[in-house]
Amino acid sequence: MSQRVIVGMSGGVDSSVTALILQDQGFDVQCLFMKNWEEDSRECPAEQDYKDALLACDTLRLPLHSVNFAKEYRDNVFKYFLQEYKNGRTPNPDVLCNREIKFKVFLDYALKLGADMIATGHYARISKKNNTYHLLKGRDSNKDQSYFLYLLGQKELSKSLFPIGEMEKKDVRELADKAGLNTSDKKDSTGICFIGERDFKTFLQQYLPAQPGKIVTDTGKTIGTHEGLMYYTLGQRKGIGVGGGHGEKEAPWYVVDKDLINNHLIIAQGHDHPKLFKNHLIANQLHWIATPPTDECSLTAKIRYRQKDQDCSLSFPETNTIEVTFNEPQFAITPGQSVVFYKDDECLGGGIIKEGY
Amino acid sequence: MRYFDHSATTPLHPKVLDLISEIEKNTYGNPSSTHRLGKTSRVVIETARKQLADSIGCTPFEIIFTGGGTEANNLVLWNLLFQKKKHIITSAIEHPAILNVILRLKEFGVTSTILPVDRTGRVRPDDLALAITEETGLITIMTANNETGVLQPLNEICEIADKHHIPFHSDGVQTLGKISVSVKDLGVDMMSFSAHKFYGPKGVGALYINKNISLKSLIIGGGQERKLRAGTENISGIAGLGLAAEIAAKTQSKFEDHLNQLSQQFQNELTQKYSKAIYNNHPQHGLPGVVSVTIPDITSDMMTIHLDMKGFAVSSGSACSSGVVKPSHVLKAMGVSNDNNIRTIRISFGKENTLQDVKDLVNAIVQIIENQKRRR
Repeated sequence: MSQRVIVGMSGGVDSSVTALILQDQGFDVQCLFMKNWEEDSRECPAEQDYKDALLACDTLRLPLHSVNFAKEYRDNVFKYFLQEYKNGRTPNPDVLCNREIKFKVFLDYALKLGADMIATGHYARISKKNNTYHLLKGRDSNKDQSYFLYLLGQKELSKSLFPIGEMEKKDVRELADKAGLNTSDKKDSTGICFIGERDFKTFLQQYLPAQPGKIVTDTGKTIGTHEGLMYYTLGQRKGIGVGGGHGEKEAPWYVVDKDLINNHLIIAQGHDHPKLFKNHLIANQLHWIATPPTDECSLTAKIRYRQKDQDCSLSFPETNTIEVTFNEPQFAITPGQSVVFYKDDECLGGGIIKEGY
Repeated sequence: MRYFDHSATTPLHPKVLDLISEIEKNTYGNPSSTHRLGKTSRVVIETARKQLADSIGCTPFEIIFTGGGTEANNLVLWNLLFQKKKHIITSAIEHPAILNVILRLKEFGVTSTILPVDRTGRVRPDDLALAITEETGLITIMTANNETGVLQPLNEICEIADKHHIPFHSDGVQTLGKISVSVKDLGVDMMSFSAHKFYGPKGVGALYINKNISLKSLIIGGGQERKLRAGTENISGIAGLGLAAEIAAKTQSKFEDHLNQLSQQFQNELTQKYSKAIYNNHPQHGLPGVVSVTIPDITSDMMTIHLDMKGFAVSSGSACSSGVVKPSHVLKAMGVSNDNNIRTIRISFGKENTLQDVKDLVNAIVQIIENQKRRR
C-alpha cells in the first residue's frame, strides 16, 4: 500500500500544488483544512479559504477534511502573542504557529488519521545526513520560508515533506495553472493570518487596553502623545503622528525605542539615525534543529523574514542565551522577533531577540 | 460512499426526479398568467398543494410554499413584530433557524423564554405552563430534534398553548415520512416543512398555517401564495415537494418499520462489540432511524474523517460553513458533558440502507476505535 500523506490545505496555491506533486508521486494523499481562528462576532472567517481549498481538491480528485484547532491556537499562540504586545515587544505569531499548531497539533492529528507523513506548502527543504535531519532554505531565494520553521526539531522534520521547497514560486503557479487549479492566481496571503485585512490597531484594542503616553525625542523633548506603546514597532515611520517639520530638519521621524517604565515612545529623526542601527543583540529561548553551533562560530543570521543573510559571530554568555555580533550595523533590531541562524543554505535554529545594543 | 446522514438531507426519490425534469422541460408558463400555459403551471402548483395537504391532514388553503424550512420558520417568527404581544417561548434544542432568528428579534424588542430540556432531551410541559405570561404571543417547539431525533410532547404542549389562546408553531422538518403527521391530531397552529428532508428537492419548503391564524408577508411583491410569499413560484420544486410528500405519507408506516429495524440493529451490534457506547436518542420517543451515539474513545471530527476515508458518511454535531465541527448546543442542553459532546456522532438511516450496511458501518466504527487505541 502506498504511504499516506496528509497535506495541510490553506486554500492557497502553495498547498494546492503540494498536494498535486505528492499525488503525482504516488502517495495516498488526504487533504486537511485547519480552522485556527474563531471570533464570536464573525461567522467562519476562513470560509472563502475553505471553499478555495475545496475546489482545488475537487480538481485534483482528492478528499478534503476539516478540523478545528481554534482552541489550541488561542491557548498556545494567541495568548503568547498578546502577552508579548503587553510587554511592549513585537512577536511573530507565525513562528509559534508552526511549532505549536502545524507541526504539533496538526501533525499529531494526522498521525492519528493514519498518516505516515504530513506535508505543507512551505518553501524550505529537508535533508537527512547520518540519521540527522537538516532544514535547508527553499530553492527560491526570494520565497524561502525557513525563517518561520526554525523552531522545528528532529521529530517534526522526520515526519514532514515540503515538496515545493525545490521549486521557484513562478513554477508553482505555472504548475497550478496547467492543472487547472482555481488557486493558480490567488494572491499570496500577507500579514498576520487571524487579523487579515483588518486594521491592526482596531484589532488589538479589542484585547488589550491602550495606555496613551508621551512621545519623546532622542534629545529629551516631548513633542506629542502616543496611543499605547504596543501599537508601535521599532523602526516604524508611518503612523507616529509627528510630521517631519517638528524637528530641526525636514526629515521623517522613526521609532527608536520604547521606555516601558515611563510609557514613553522614543523617536528620532532620519532613517540613518545612529539609534536605529546596532551591532549586537542578545537572544534567548534558543532552539537548534540539529546540533548547536560552537563558540565564536562565524555564521549568518536574519533578524526578520526575507532579510538578506547578515554575517555575524556568536558567543554564549550564559545558558540558553546568545550574544550575536554583526559585521554590519543592523536596522531596528526588534525585541520579540526571531533571530535565525544559517550556515550557507542550512537553517540551524535561532532564538527570540531580547534586546539590541 | 454509503450514506447515513438522512437527517441532513436525502437523495431525490427517482419518481420525483422524473417529475421535476418533465416539468422543467415542458411547464414554463407563469402560474399567474391567464393563458393556457400559465394555467397549466397553476395546476401543477395546486396539485402539489393538495398532495401536501392530504399528507399532513389539512386543507390546501392552509399551505403556503416557501423557499425552504428556514424561510417558513422566519415567516412565523418575524410576524411577532406585527403583533402586540412580543414574548416568545421556545426550547433550548431548536434548530438555528429558530434560535438565531429569536436572537435577532431581540434587537427589535422581542423578548423570549428558552425552555430547558430534561436529560432525555424533552421539554417538560410544566415548564412551559410556568413560562407563559400576559405578553406571550407565540410558542414554538420543534416536533422532532434534528440531532437526536427526540420527539417532543407536542400534544401536551398544544393543550397548554390552546388553553392560553397562544398560537403554537412547530418546526416539523424532520418528521414527514418518518412518523405519521397530522396537524389536526397534533393540534399545532403552524408547522414548517422542508422537501429535501423527505426525498424531495432542495430550496423548497412549506408552512402549514391554520385558517384561523393570519400572518403578514415578509417578501413583498406580486402577491403570490395568498400574498404571503411573493415571487414567481418555483414550479418544479413545488411539484417535487408535493409528490415527495405524497410518497412519504403513503409509505410512512412501512418505512418507519424499516428504519426502526436498522437503528435497533445498529445499537445492538455496536453495544455488543463496544460496550462503552452511550446513546442520546430516546428509547421510546424518538424518530425511527436516528441514532446519536457517544464514543468516549474518539472525538467526533476524527471519527467522521476516518469513516469518510472508509467510504461512510455520518454526521458529527453541527458543522459551520467551513466544514468544521462545533460542540452541539442540543447535547449541551441535555446535560451531556463537554468531553462526551465532542465525541458524539449522529447516524440517520434512510430508505436505501440495508442490514448489511449496518453491519459494515458497525465494523468500520469498531475498527477505527481499535486502531485509535493502538496508536495511543
